[in-house]
Amino acid sequence: MTPAEKKAEEFVITEEIIDELLECIWLTEERGSDMKDNRSAICSLVVEEDLVENPLVAEAALKQVLKFDYISMQGESVTLSNSGRERAKNIIRRKRLAEKLLEEVLAVGPVETRTTACRIEHVLSPEVTDSVCSFLGHPPTCPHGKPIPPGNCCKKLAHHMRPLVMPMTDLEPGRRARIVFIAPRDHGRMDRLSTLGIVPGTEILLHQKKPAFVIRAGETELALDTDIAGEIYVKAL
Amino acid sequence: MTAAQKYKKLLLIGNPNVGKSVIFGDLTGKYVTVSNYPGTTVEVSNGNAVIKGEQFVVVDTPGVNSLLPMSEDEQVTRDILLKEDFDHVLQVSDTKNLRRSLLITLQLSEMGIPFLMALNMADEAKDAGVETDFDALKDKTGVETISTVATRRKGMNKLRDAITKTRQSRLSIKYAPRIEYAVSKIEALLPDAKITKRSLALMLLGGDTSLKGWLHGNVEADVIDGIETIVKDTQRGFSESVGYVINRERLAVVDSVVKACQKKVERTDSGIRQWLGNATMHPVWGIPFLLFVLYLIYQFVGVLGAGTMVNFMERVVFGRLINPYAVKFFETVLPIAFLREIFIGPYGIVTMALTYAIAIVLPITGTFFIAFGMLEDSGYLPRLSIMLNRMFKMIGLNGKAVLPMVLGLGCCTMATLTTRIMETKKERVIVTLLLALGIPCSAQLGVIMGMLSGISPTGTLIWASVIVLTILLVGYLASMIIPGEASDFILELPPIRFPKLKNIGLKTVGRIEWYLKEAVPLFILGTLVLFAADKMRLLGLIEKAASPLVVGLMGLPEKATEAFLIGFLRRDYGAAGLFAMQKQGLLTPVQVVVALVTITLFVPCIAQFFVTIKERGLKVALAMIAFIFPFAVLVGAALNFGLNFFGVTLK
Repeated sequence: MTPAEKKAEEFVITEEIIDELLECIWLTEERGSDMKDNRSAICSLVVEEDLVENPLVAEAALKQVLKFDYISMQGESVTLSNSGRERAKNIIRRKRLAEKLLEEVLAVGPVETRTTACRIEHVLSPEVTDSVCSFLGHPPTCPHGKPIPPGNCCKKLAHHMRPLVMPMTDLEPGRRARIVFIAPRDHGRMDRLSTLGIVPGTEILLHQKKPAFVIRAGETELALDTDIAGEIYVKAL
Repeated sequence: MTAAQKYKKLLLIGNPNVGKSVIFGDLTGKYVTVSNYPGTTVEVSNGNAVIKGEQFVVVDTPGVNSLLPMSEDEQVTRDILLKEDFDHVLQVSDTKNLRRSLLITLQLSEMGIPFLMALNMADEAKDAGVETDFDALKDKTGVETISTVATRRKGMNKLRDAITKTRQSRLSIKYAPRIEYAVSKIEALLPDAKITKRSLALMLLGGDTSLKGWLHGNVEADVIDGIETIVKDTQRGFSESVGYVINRERLAVVDSVVKACQKKVERTDSGIRQWLGNATMHPVWGIPFLLFVLYLIYQFVGVLGAGTMVNFMERVVFGRLINPYAVKFFETVLPIAFLREIFIGPYGIVTMALTYAIAIVLPITGTFFIAFGMLEDSGYLPRLSIMLNRMFKMIGLNGKAVLPMVLGLGCCTMATLTTRIMETKKERVIVTLLLALGIPCSAQLGVIMGMLSGISPTGTLIWASVIVLTILLVGYLASMIIPGEASDFILELPPIRFPKLKNIGLKTVGRIEWYLKEAVPLFILGTLVLFAADKMRLLGLIEKAASPLVVGLMGLPEKATEAFLIGFLRRDYGAAGLFAMQKQGLLTPVQVVVALVTITLFVPCIAQFFVTIKERGLKVALAMIAFIFPFAVLVGAALNFGLNFFGVTLK
């Protein structure tokens, strides 16, 4: 037995590898590879992505995944079952949302984004995923322009595609909201707001937007410049 | 025991617009201005009170949102706690806004100052559906807490009984480890002070630059450097400012206390007040509302005050009663014509100074103070700031500046003190300059209204446009020239309240009294100067000397020089002089407008000048005068030229 064969023999599948394999199948489908003999394409992608050490291990992994009813194999063609497709879709969704968050909102470099997103995709709960998605305004594509599969949160908000977290300037007058974060240009502004009780977590009612913003927090009514309001990010309630 | 020791000192501390001045008035029987907007009190007031047989000196302080000061008026209060001796502290708070009050409570606790609390405005809290569990609150804070409605004297006796039961609060907070570490390091460097080192360390960490002066007086320079290094190092560990992190942690503690002590049931929106509050700052309805308010003021002050009442006072009271009797009286007691003329001549104390002060100016200021008091107490002024914010942005200010500017329409001297509510030095200088230059005080404004009502409405329009444009232009240029920054527009809006007649009455009487005390002596002084100048034939010489300016450039009669001369003492007196000239038919409508524009922009009165020196320094004050005097003449001359050029007659 060659060392490679030995590795394949000893290989034990993990949840993470299942994720990765399903992800690879999804990706090959997305690329439009011929479904009839995509098996080798999948195996080589799995190796390319450094998930397993050699094609033999990849084969072994595929075989083990078969047992979970996520995929079916006929000769050289591998297809996702319904449950497998669902799982793959969610992984891709988590990964691409993570990339979007890291690269576009948090401005993390592309290399760091890639490695972090690959780790995050395995751990995000459905709830957190939907929150991230809402936070980002239900983005249709990842930073590389690939589609992000929509989740439940996107369907719910299909009517008005409005992000859950938005600058107060986007909130409609008369609505209640909770402050999620404040991103001021200068520190003094935040200090002043905080002495008036305006901090993340505070619930506010947006009274009007013109000629100046007027908000109500508890029994405190405040008038604010539009540019300050634009730095206060809120979640509508 | 010395007299000073016999009195115990009681400090009133609290957020802005919670009723400290009302409680002060109730305890001392002394009236200090009470209004419905944050920042009415910018100076400390003292008053004596006897509480349960003991003598107290009660000190009313400007309201604070934090004891880490962000403006000059807040610093006044913090400095009293830091530097002065006192026996008892009463924290006054707004019951329905306990959250904001507890931020101060927590800071007093950290300072190690024993105090008690008055939860004021219990009636408004009830209306807002806020229920307070006093036992739970006392248990959490550890200090005596009394519920009051100070405007109706509810709970005031209980408060008097409890006033000496001040205790150290048990509210405390443990900050993030990095902050606590820095606090302990700074504490070790600080000298003993009247308040705890911990609170001082937290202020320093929070970026309090106003403490620098105190530090320099109390520790060595290298220690200050050491502290600054700790502050900088600590800041580096946070992406947000340390002051903000501290406030956030405080609010978290405060929120848990509020949650345990207060319940809010269904809010019953008080219909009409809510509606008014909304209408006054509505992007569309706000403007007609403002015009309507201005119209009412014009009817009350301009028509009733400056028209009907002035006519009655001048023609009947002075014209038929006082002056004829005064003439008879002085003719019998003073046989010497020269001495008689001091009182009843053309420049007589009775016939000129008192007639001007009491017959012309007093009805106008009186009605204005009443109208103005209503505006102040209703809570409309801060809402006006919202409407005018954009316009003020153009001149390097923000809507907040509306408060001192509108107060200037009452009295520019008092308004100059109110500039303290502006956050940056640049803003304070600009507002002070504009107050000195273009804002007519009530007395002057009333006289001006009276004069303008006698000519074509176009005259009023021209006068108002020239003044507003001048203010905007000078403000704009000043904001370009004066270095420094503009601050943010963050303004707290008080609830709309129905003015209480009693407060309006007290306030108006107080202001009239103040006007009489301040203006009448100056009116008399001005008259004496004119009298002397006239007798020594100086007046004619001055009029001749000023003739190229007054007659040549501004196209006014020579006698107008007299009005400008006394205008150096008080602009309203100068205006009253012009008013008299107009009545005698000495001024054409064009001359009226030119003279009014000039006197409106003329140098500030002596009192305002002194307050400007006190607030901004002699150099700035002198520079302002050096600019204003020639500028006023220049604008008057330019207007005269323009009106004549276009052949405007205003008839």
